[in-house]
Amino acid sequence: MTTKKLNPGSYMNPYLSGVLLGLVLLTAFYVSGRGLGASGAIKSTIVTAVDAVSPSHVENADFYAEYMESHPKPMKSWLVFEMLGVLVGGFISGALSGRLKLKIEHSPKITSRRRLIFALAGGILFGFGSQLGRGCTSGSALSGMAVLSLGGIITMAGIFGTGYALAYFVRKNWI
Amino acid sequence: MKSRLILAGFLIPLALIIAAVPSNTTRAYRLTADQLLQEAVSYEPYVHPDNVADMLIQKDPSLILIDVRTPDEYDKFSLPGAINIPLADLLSDEYLDILDQDENTNVFYSNGTLKSNEAWMITRQLGYENNYVLQGGLNYWAEVIMNPVPPAQTSPDEEIAKYNFRKGASMALGGGAETNTAASAVPAKPVIKKKKEKKRVAGGC
Amino acid sequence: MGPLAAYDIISPDTNLLMAFLIGIGFGFVLESAGFSSSRKLAGVFYGYDTVVLKVFFTAGITAMLGLLFFSLFGWIDLSLIYINPTFLTSAITGGVIMGAGFILGGFCPGTSFCAASIGKIDAMVFIGGLIIGIFVFAEGYPLWEDLYKAKFMGIPKISEALGLKDGLMALILVLVALAMFWVGEWAEKKFPREEY
Repeated sequence: MTTKKLNPGSYMNPYLSGVLLGLVLLTAFYVSGRGLGASGAIKSTIVTAVDAVSPSHVENADFYAEYMESHPKPMKSWLVFEMLGVLVGGFISGALSGRLKLKIEHSPKITSRRRLIFALAGGILFGFGSQLGRGCTSGSALSGMAVLSLGGIITMAGIFGTGYALAYFVRKNWI
Repeated sequence: MKSRLILAGFLIPLALIIAAVPSNTTRAYRLTADQLLQEAVSYEPYVHPDNVADMLIQKDPSLILIDVRTPDEYDKFSLPGAINIPLADLLSDEYLDILDQDENTNVFYSNGTLKSNEAWMITRQLGYENNYVLQGGLNYWAEVIMNPVPPAQTSPDEEIAKYNFRKGASMALGGGAETNTAASAVPAKPVIKKKKEKKRVAGGC
Repeated sequence: MGPLAAYDIISPDTNLLMAFLIGIGFGFVLESAGFSSSRKLAGVFYGYDTVVLKVFFTAGITAMLGLLFFSLFGWIDLSLIYINPTFLTSAITGGVIMGAGFILGGFCPGTSFCAASIGKIDAMVFIGGLIIGIFVFAEGYPLWEDLYKAKFMGIPKISEALGLKDGLMALILVLVALAMFWVGEWAEKKFPREEY
């Protein structure tokens, strides 16, 4: 052991977590015939919110109209329920491990403000990209790999490849 | 290091097994034996030649006649517009889209009803809808449509209307001039049952 | 025979309940593994913490092998599983933009929810960003609709693209993943970081 990690004992062995996550994913396939996902839940929420504020906009704009056509009840979607579960599950695990704490996590070399600005920018980019890519890491990459989907692997390569390519330029934020 | 080795120790043998074993391509039965028996002894699988003749004359695009006899017999004679799916090849992948669908009305026929019944039983048990059997097969078709027997003068109007229809049909299908058919004499044609959405639909991701 | 929802063994409403339960499992495992920390997540790009690599690929191959074995035993009908269709152009561009988002923000949607649930404010801000980003996409949709729908390829499988049997493809991916785990451990020793 050459690195001193924060709370080394309280995080689960990564390989064990991986196997458990794989089993959760397998359960999703077996029970519901689909893999996991995340960004779609936010999309549903946005469509619902826009519909509540301005139904005519929803009818006129292609994006919303196409979505409402195939999902007349956007909030009653598998992903929305799944993400609610994620919130609960994460909370329980955090509570059991004593990691519940309201804080802004950042490298000691940068300020909180900088971290939040980058978090916002990252979120905007990721949100936009997830719609283009028809999925995020959970949906496209992870679930895609499990079913040997070529599209999933391509998106995954895009995500990680770009991450590595840009890592040097934002290294101050992390290391 | 230890957990990696344990993991590898599990994954590699499993992966080797899965790579070596041929994949399972069986299609599961969707109906139980009871359900199938119930449908088989009812009149549900059957379509009367009058219906088929009417659909042919009206040029109904949803009708697909499927000849389940051998290619030789099909070449010698087949009903207008019929395609040939020999019974032995029924489960081949190339016919899956024709047999498992919800837009057309497929009608199996053979000389009698033996082969067409068998085709119906197998496809029905796999859960496919909208497949039917031509009642009586080609033998009955020839009797009823091609050479209809004129009813006695004292028969009810319905019988006479039916006969007129059949005469007209045989002329139309034999290549003769189209005649007006008595619509009331033709029993209702089978309803196309919509397939339930099988693939899970995800709300984006 | 699975998938249970496709064969109507469970009702659509039960399916939603199952989604909730599966989500709980998902969130729990993610948090336990440390995916609620953006610094651990970003670590894979610098080598100091390759937990992303290990968990991600272990999960992927576990589920992959699981599906193939289930299919072998006749417990699941693989043709009924929903797979995202592949649109080549948007798959690549979307991936690149997401990669930028990942290295800047340090999260992906799933992990951001997980982190937000234990109180990480940067995760909540990230989610705010997600909402803005998706909204921008929605509003400007006509501008990129063509790109979004370009080069439709259906649902190709990697095994098909390489002309291999599914099982063989799985074996190769398992070996590749294991190799990456060894590289990951090496990287962690080579690029250690003190406290994070």
